[in-house]
Amino acid sequence: MLARIASEALNGLEGHPVEVEADVVAAAPSFSVVGLPDAAVQESRERVRSAIVNSAYEFPSRRITINLAPADLRKEGPSFDLPIALAFLVATGQVNDGCDGRGPLAAVGELGLDGSLRPVAGALALAESLRRRGLRGLLLPAANAAEASLVRGLEVYPASTLSEAVAQLSAGGARPAPPADLAALLGSAPAGEADFSDIVGQDAVKRALEVAVAGAHNVLMSGPPGAGKTMLARRLPSIMPALTLAEAIEITRVYSVAGLLPAEAPLIARRPFRAPHHTISSPGLVGGGGTPRPGEVSLAHLGVLFLDEFPEFRLAALEGLRQPLEDGEVTISRRLTSITFPARLMLVAAMNPCPCGYLGDRERECLCPPHRLRQYGSRLSGPLLDRIDLRVEVPRVSPRDRRSERLGEGSVDVRARVARARRRQLARLAGTGIYANAHMSARHLRRLCTLEADAVALLDRAYERLHLSARACDRIVKVAQTIADLEESPTVGVAQVAESLSYRARSRHDR
Amino acid sequence: MNARQSYGRAAEETAARYLEARGWRLLGRNVRIGRGELDIVARHGSALVFVEVKARRTRACGSPEDAVTPLKRRQVARLAELWLAARPWALRGVAEVRFDVVAVDGTRRPAEVRHLQGAFTLDG
Repeated sequence: MLARIASEALNGLEGHPVEVEADVVAAAPSFSVVGLPDAAVQESRERVRSAIVNSAYEFPSRRITINLAPADLRKEGPSFDLPIALAFLVATGQVNDGCDGRGPLAAVGELGLDGSLRPVAGALALAESLRRRGLRGLLLPAANAAEASLVRGLEVYPASTLSEAVAQLSAGGARPAPPADLAALLGSAPAGEADFSDIVGQDAVKRALEVAVAGAHNVLMSGPPGAGKTMLARRLPSIMPALTLAEAIEITRVYSVAGLLPAEAPLIARRPFRAPHHTISSPGLVGGGGTPRPGEVSLAHLGVLFLDEFPEFRLAALEGLRQPLEDGEVTISRRLTSITFPARLMLVAAMNPCPCGYLGDRERECLCPPHRLRQYGSRLSGPLLDRIDLRVEVPRVSPRDRRSERLGEGSVDVRARVARARRRQLARLAGTGIYANAHMSARHLRRLCTLEADAVALLDRAYERLHLSARACDRIVKVAQTIADLEESPTVGVAQVAESLSYRARSRHDR
Repeated sequence: MNARQSYGRAAEETAARYLEARGWRLLGRNVRIGRGELDIVARHGSALVFVEVKARRTRACGSPEDAVTPLKRRQVARLAELWLAARPWALRGVAEVRFDVVAVDGTRRPAEVRHLQGAFTLDG
C-alpha cells in the first residue's frame, strides 16, 4: 500500500515542499530511502525502525521504500524522521490518516530511539512557508510548538512522542496549540543591566553613539587602550530602541534556523548584540559551511555587531563584511544552491590608533616604527572604511573627568530620544520593509528625505573638496536625516549635514 | 565430507525437524543457485522464509548467531532474490518475506536450537 505525508525542507530561510511517500510490498525485506537524502536522512531509517518498534507498533518484514519527492532537491537533517514514520504506519495500515476532506497536515520532527520527538531547527521558517503554500496545519515536536504558533493562519499540532503524533494524525489534528500572545512575548524583554551613566565624560562619543543607534549607522571608535571603547560598546543595548513585532519575527527566524532559539523564549524580543573574538574565521563571521549556516553578521541582524580590535580580524573576514554592510544580506553560493541570509546589522568597531595604542595621545609618546604604522592602517581597506558612517575618536579620560563624582546622562533618557527618532523613521519608511535610516536605498533617499537648499550646497562643496565617493555622500545624508529625526525636524538643514560630515572626516592619524 | 561438514549437515537436519515440528512447510533444502546455497526455504502461514542454519560445537569462534557475517547476509539476500526471480508464483498469498537464522548450539547437551526471526534484511 502507498501512503503520502506532506513535509517541508529548508534551504537557508526558504522552504521547499517535500512529499514523503511510503510503499510497502511483500518481497525480500529491505528498508530504503530514496530522493537525494544526505547521511542524516539515511540514518533516519535506524531511528524510525527503533522508534516504531519501541512505540509498540509492528515493523513487518517486507520491502519498504521511502521516497522523498521531488527527487532533485537535496534533503538534509533529521526533520524527516516523523513524516517517514507516519507514512510508514499509514502504508502498513496501522494508522488511518484522519484528514480526509479537510486538507492534509504536514509533519516535521526528529525521532529518538524510544519514540520521543526532538525539536528541529528552523520551525518558524518552516511554518511560515507551509502557511504560504496554504496547508491547513503542521504536526511537530512539542518543543517547537511555541515558535511555530507565532505564525498566524496555520494550525499547530504538538506531539511529544510518536504515539501522540499518531493520535493527532488519525484525528486529523485534535489538540491544537494555542496561538502565541505576541504582545506579551514582545513586552517580556528584560532591560539592559549596564547603564550609560557609568561612563564619565566622553560626551562627544556618546552623542555620536546616540546618532548611530538612532539610525542604525555603522561606527568606528578609535582610541588608546583603556579609554572606554569596549565599555561604551557594551552599554549600547541599554539605549537601543525596542523591537517592532515584524523585526522580532525576522530575528527569530534567523536564530531558529541556526538552532540558537532558547527553549524558554520562542520569540527573540531584544535586539541582538554579538561580539565575536577577532580570531573568528571568515565563514564564522559572514556565514558558510557545507550546509550553510548563518554567521555572526546574520545573528546580529537588526542589532549590533561589535568588533573589538577591528584591524586584528582576518583580512578575508573583514572584506567579507562588504556585501552585508552594503546590501543588508549575505549570499552564500554552493555548487547546487545559493542561500541568502538577512544581515542588516549595525557595525560597531573599535580599534587602537596604532599597534602600541598611543598615536596622537597628548601625554604619551607613540613607540611604533613607521612601517608598522603603515601596515596597521592598511589592514582596513578603503571600500570597507567607506561603509562606516561615523568615525569617532575616544580620547583618554581627562584626570578631572576621572575624579568627577558627577554621573553622565542615564540610558533611560537617551533611549527615549532614540525611540522617538526611530518612530519618526518607521512612520516615514512605512511600507518599504526597512526600519531605520541606515538601510535606505538611494531611491528611498531621493523620495523620502527633504534637504534644505543650503544643506545641498554644503554637501556639494564637501563632495568636491573631500573627494567623497557617491556612496559616502548618500551615507552622509542618511546620518544627517537621523540627526534631524533626533531633533524632530521635518527637513535636513545645514547644521545636520555639517554634524554628519564631521563624523565622516578623516581623523588626524587616519592614513 | 569431513567431520565439520558432517556436523553442519546434521545441524541442518536438526533445524529442519525443529521447523517442521512447528508447522512449517519446507519448500526446499540445500537449494543450489550457481555457486551458492540456501539452507532452507519454507512457508509458515503467510510468510515466506529463507533460513540460514548455523551450528557450533564449541565457543572457540563465538556464538553461532555471530557467524552470520555481513558478507554471509549479502550472499543469502542475493540468492533469495535470484530464487524469487525464477519463481514469481512463490509470492502468491505471501504477506511478508523474511530472513531467519536457526542456530544450533552444540555447547549444550542436548544441542540447543535458537530461532531468530527477521534476523536481517536486504540492506543489512
